[in-house]
Amino acid sequence: MLEVRNLYKRFGENEVIKGIDFHVNKGEVVAVLGSSGAGKTTLLRCMSFLEKADQGEILFDDFRKDMRKVRGREIRGLRMKMGFVFQSYNLFRNQTALKNVMVGLTTARHMPKAQAREIASNMLEKVGLLDHADYYPDQLSGGQQQRVAIARAIAASPEVILFDEPTSALDPELTGEVLDVMKMLAREGTTMVVVTHEMGFAKEAANRIVFMEDGVIVEEQEAKAFFASPKEESTKRFLRRFTDAQAAETKPQESTI
Amino acid sequence: MSERLLDILVSSIYKILIPCLKMTIPLTLIVFAISLVLAFLLAMVQILNIRGLKQFARIYIWIFRGTPLLVQLYIIFFGLPSLGIVMDAFPSAVIAFSLNLAAYNAETIRSAILSVPQGQIEAGYMVGLSHPQIMLHIVLPQAARVAFPTLFNSLISLTKDTSLASSITVVELFKTAQQIAAKYFEPFALYCEAAVFYLIICTLLTWLQSWLEKKLEWKQPLKKGKESYA
Repeated sequence: MLEVRNLYKRFGENEVIKGIDFHVNKGEVVAVLGSSGAGKTTLLRCMSFLEKADQGEILFDDFRKDMRKVRGREIRGLRMKMGFVFQSYNLFRNQTALKNVMVGLTTARHMPKAQAREIASNMLEKVGLLDHADYYPDQLSGGQQQRVAIARAIAASPEVILFDEPTSALDPELTGEVLDVMKMLAREGTTMVVVTHEMGFAKEAANRIVFMEDGVIVEEQEAKAFFASPKEESTKRFLRRFTDAQAAETKPQESTI
Repeated sequence: MSERLLDILVSSIYKILIPCLKMTIPLTLIVFAISLVLAFLLAMVQILNIRGLKQFARIYIWIFRGTPLLVQLYIIFFGLPSLGIVMDAFPSAVIAFSLNLAAYNAETIRSAILSVPQGQIEAGYMVGLSHPQIMLHIVLPQAARVAFPTLFNSLISLTKDTSLASSITVVELFKTAQQIAAKYFEPFALYCEAAVFYLIICTLLTWLQSWLEKKLEWKQPLKKGKESYA
């Protein structure tokens, strides 16, 4: 449904993405894994035109074009069919939770206010924050802000939702509430691309795993197979590091006194 | 204090209050309003990077911030007539103060707009807003709150700076006090009285500022009995 082909992106001398083919099918949850600096976030940002690709082609439903030649109005049309959840939430600070969810419906899509309000309320209820509808972002915890941001991203029923490390800025005890909402969306058949470091989520909710390293896709497998029998050496190394870290975490803490 | 001095001070309250209400305050408000409009335009041509106009704005700000207000007043009121442009004192003061203040306020507004994080704009794009919609609904409201205290500060400064208009024959609060002081040979008392007038106006403005700042906060008032928001 959404696909990029032969994507290249560099920042100055630094080549961040070196020829990537990536796609997501309708109803699929794709987790994009990899170490920091692998180019995962840049991939998402190029697909949503927050970064201008140096080379590449985008295919979204029946739209197909060289990414360098996509015009402003076309970009806006494509974005209308996407939802985006940022690492740092990026809720509009001057608007209440409810207004944050509504503005894409009323201002961008010219939906009548009453209807938009109803949809926005439903979305907030879905993420468990209807009772916080009148709160401003600064009055919400990080986890709550990110749940509102997810409500905002799903409000216009986009065809695909892109998650850019949605729990990386959160305290560990707050990641659970956000991941729960994302798992719920996955169960409902929402098409999702999730850049994440949360292996547990990838294991449980993703259909397919894309593993990136150094600007290229190293390995791509169905989720179960990816974790059970990774093919590439770098994937194995990555997964081993993760299981080691997890083991260290679950070890009983030694007293520091 | 002698009875004579007390009489002079009391009777001049009314004499000073009239030009204060009829001249100082209207001059302040008119100038501030014009300066805000000019400042907004000067800021926007820079933010939007409009070629030509951006350079004009930089040069404008450079000149009006780099020369004394008093000199600007003199150039416009005493200087321009020699070029054939003759204006009354009041419009001259309005123009000079407005042009000067616009240069300062433009920088305040520009930096306030630039202070809005890029993430807010990106989020705007991703919910499907157009660039003008993002400006109108996201960036400018947030910038307004950032700029507000500094702009209000410039309003308070302006209130006092209008006393400079006395030097180009505008009969405002301070000029009136000067006239009364000269008449009774009581400069100390009368200038102090004028100072008290400015102090009262500025105190009222300060109160207004704190009240408005509370209104502008992006916070829902806490419900009773609730200790935190989260």
